[in-house]
Amino acid sequence: MEDKNTDITFFESEGGFLGAKTEKKAGTSGDGPAVGTYDRVRAVRLFPFTDPMKYISIRVGSETGEELMVIGDIAELPADQQALIRRDLELNYFMPVINKIISIKDEYGYAYFHVLTDKGEVKFTINMGGNNVTKLSETRLLITDINENRFEIRDVRELTPSEQRKLDLFL
Amino acid sequence: MILNFELPRELRSLITLDEGEEIYYSLPADIDEHSMYTRDSFLVVSNRTIYSVMHGKLEKKLSVADCDSAKAHAHVGQGLLTVNHKGTLIVLARYTHGHMARYAYIARGINILASGRSEHVESNEYEASCPKCGRAIPGTARCPHCNGENRFLGTLKRLARPYIPQFLGIAVLMILASVTTLVNPVIQRYLVDDVLLDESPSKSAAFLCLGGIFAMSVGIVFVNVAKSFYSTKLGARISNDMRKSLFEKLQAAPLSYINDRRPGELLNRVVQDTRVIREFMENSFCNLVTVAFIFVCDVIFMLSINVKLALMAFIPAPVVVVLIMLFRKNIHRRFHLQWHKNDDISSNLQDVISGMRVVKSYGNEKAESEKFLKFSNEYCRVQIRNECFWAIFNPMLNFLMGAGIFIVVYFGGSQVLAGEMTPGELIQFMTYTQLLYQYLNWMTNLPRQLTSLISSLERIDDILAFDRIPDHENGVVSKIKGQIDFEKATFGYRSYKPVLEGIDLHVRPGEKIGIVGPSGAGKSTMINLLMGLYEADDGLLLVDGKDIRTLDRKSFHSQLGVVLQETFLFSGTILENIRFARPDATYEEVIAAARTANAHDFICRTPGGYDTYVGEKGYNLSGGERQRIAIARAVLADPSLLILDEATASLDTESEYLVQNALSKLTKGKTTFAIAHRLSTLKDCDRLIVIDGHRICEMGSHEELIAAKGLYYELLTAQLQMQRRREA
Repeated sequence: MEDKNTDITFFESEGGFLGAKTEKKAGTSGDGPAVGTYDRVRAVRLFPFTDPMKYISIRVGSETGEELMVIGDIAELPADQQALIRRDLELNYFMPVINKIISIKDEYGYAYFHVLTDKGEVKFTINMGGNNVTKLSETRLLITDINENRFEIRDVRELTPSEQRKLDLFL
Repeated sequence: MILNFELPRELRSLITLDEGEEIYYSLPADIDEHSMYTRDSFLVVSNRTIYSVMHGKLEKKLSVADCDSAKAHAHVGQGLLTVNHKGTLIVLARYTHGHMARYAYIARGINILASGRSEHVESNEYEASCPKCGRAIPGTARCPHCNGENRFLGTLKRLARPYIPQFLGIAVLMILASVTTLVNPVIQRYLVDDVLLDESPSKSAAFLCLGGIFAMSVGIVFVNVAKSFYSTKLGARISNDMRKSLFEKLQAAPLSYINDRRPGELLNRVVQDTRVIREFMENSFCNLVTVAFIFVCDVIFMLSINVKLALMAFIPAPVVVVLIMLFRKNIHRRFHLQWHKNDDISSNLQDVISGMRVVKSYGNEKAESEKFLKFSNEYCRVQIRNECFWAIFNPMLNFLMGAGIFIVVYFGGSQVLAGEMTPGELIQFMTYTQLLYQYLNWMTNLPRQLTSLISSLERIDDILAFDRIPDHENGVVSKIKGQIDFEKATFGYRSYKPVLEGIDLHVRPGEKIGIVGPSGAGKSTMINLLMGLYEADDGLLLVDGKDIRTLDRKSFHSQLGVVLQETFLFSGTILENIRFARPDATYEEVIAAARTANAHDFICRTPGGYDTYVGEKGYNLSGGERQRIAIARAVLADPSLLILDEATASLDTESEYLVQNALSKLTKGKTTFAIAHRLSTLKDCDRLIVIDGHRICEMGSHEELIAAKGLYYELLTAQLQMQRRREA
């Protein structure tokens, strides 16, 4: 998937955004993305749920314009380059994972969650009418609140039985 | 929507305002630099300075004058507010989805301040949850919980005012029913104590009592029937009247109001919420007064007969009420789950059946069966569990409800034996105890019903109380000349996602404008603004030099002809569909219009001619035929302003020719806006505009744009190449 003919190096541009510079690899020919320096590129996940750190599309501009290349596995990049991409991913994605359910209260069609996520403690509300709890797999849940924030539960079985019972209504 | 949150006191002291400085906006920035939630970070904007407070410390202080092009970016799960500060792009705040729309307004606000103006930006959007109590707000301006209970009676009173005579009539029937219910035990006591237990029981007195009891039993049946009849009638009438006024309001509301709400939500308000009101009137209201009246009298009577026994009978009441409430809540949860599982089954079925061709062609039947079986088993499991629960606990609850009676029978019986109470009094007392518990059960149901009624009323009132911008009486335009000016028009369906930015376009009367650009660039949006379906967020749209918002809608729309990609035909005949814009047109006029639209010939070939029934369930017309009916509709209306949105996109070559031909007759001498993907169809436009990246990026005639070798040239050569490849 990675472009065989092009080298890409990332740098931190002024203002703290991700920048990238593309160059033709020595001794290669053929088509490739435009060669040049881009002050602002964005890292976009192709599989944000199934494999968030693999297959990262690097696109020009803040509005995800033209694709420069797809990086198959960022773990293969040098450490400093990885850190830059991770930083940009953090600015582009905010997907809290629920680790602990403190309480769920349901009242007249809405459910009020109080949970502990990997991003800290948070309270949110979901509408019980719609399809706001989606099963990504048998045990993995995606919960969308009334503000369209999304929360993930990686594995329902890892919750305590009493937490699972609180969730029962949505399974 | 709140754009100026109250700062916590300890943060407020971080910001010292100069003289003449005033805080305009203040919002939580609830994601910190480590991508963690934070509660003590804010972005504060005054008319001079932008303050960024992070974790209780003042982190940035920027002069508004040094900033420009503030922008709210919508990313996945979070938003970023960036600003160009002395030439460098910096991030001012990170926030979750709940604040995204707010920051879009703030970005606009900062840009206004940076340009030297001082007006505030305000938001008409509703809050999703109540800032006071934190509960979700069901799509209304006010929180039904916080305002509802105070305002509930007011709203109810206002909505009920036209029906006061009917309400009074029903109330009289209710009182009648209550009195009968309460007097019956009194006669029973008299029968036992004074007639049956008399030393010389008189037969005639006994029969008189029995007759009285019988007459009352029969009478109460009649009263109840009359009560139900009138309540149902009143309920149906009220909900009908509400549906009518809701529908009228909705028709009058601008499209943006409808668009702000989830699809189906408005439908629910018209259909479901009015049903809730009807059901409340039928089932609850009709008994409300009776039950309250009986309940109070019942308690008084019990106390007056025997205070000690009455108090004893009351003892189990709180326990019973709590148990019933718990039971109800549990049952509700269980059946909600069951409903959920049932829903899983139906959506799975829907999926598989509508995708049957794909399933079969990939030979996936077995896997799909297994999937369905799993859903079905799951539903079955939940159903069995719920029915068992119901079967076990419902009788237990019924037993508990009778607990009061056991106490009364035991202690009352002892008192009768001790001669402190007469048998008749005991019988009367037992009947009252039974009534008490029966109505307690009924009343525990009331909170839920009242809440759903309050929510429904609030939702209905939200639409009814919505004031549409009144039509400008003097905005009536007799004949539009067709001069259109966009002046720095900016618009987005969602405040945080602009679709058009700073559109400047000046069109002479009679000019034909072709609009070109990639999908999603905002072509149709421009047309929507032009049709007056939405209003520009910023900037102006002028028709003949007058602001489109000041025009009388009806007179403006009557001079607007529209042919869209997919023509919507209403259920009705071809004649009715052509006459849609001008119901008084004569047959001759309709036929002439159909001829101009190249539609007359195919209409003649249909079995019913102009009376052929079309629409959802009617005669099947092809895409090209539908388009030509739409054109005939437009011809008949003889508009001064024409809008063609991909009118020929979904047609084959021959129908396209016929439709193009009809269109060129229609557009002669009229200001026309045409959108097309196939650039060849725009050849005879006077001017073409190319929209890309929310803006007009090229403008000029076909030849000029080709000479400029810009985006239009690229699109054109790409299409020509594709055409050549197809021919080769």
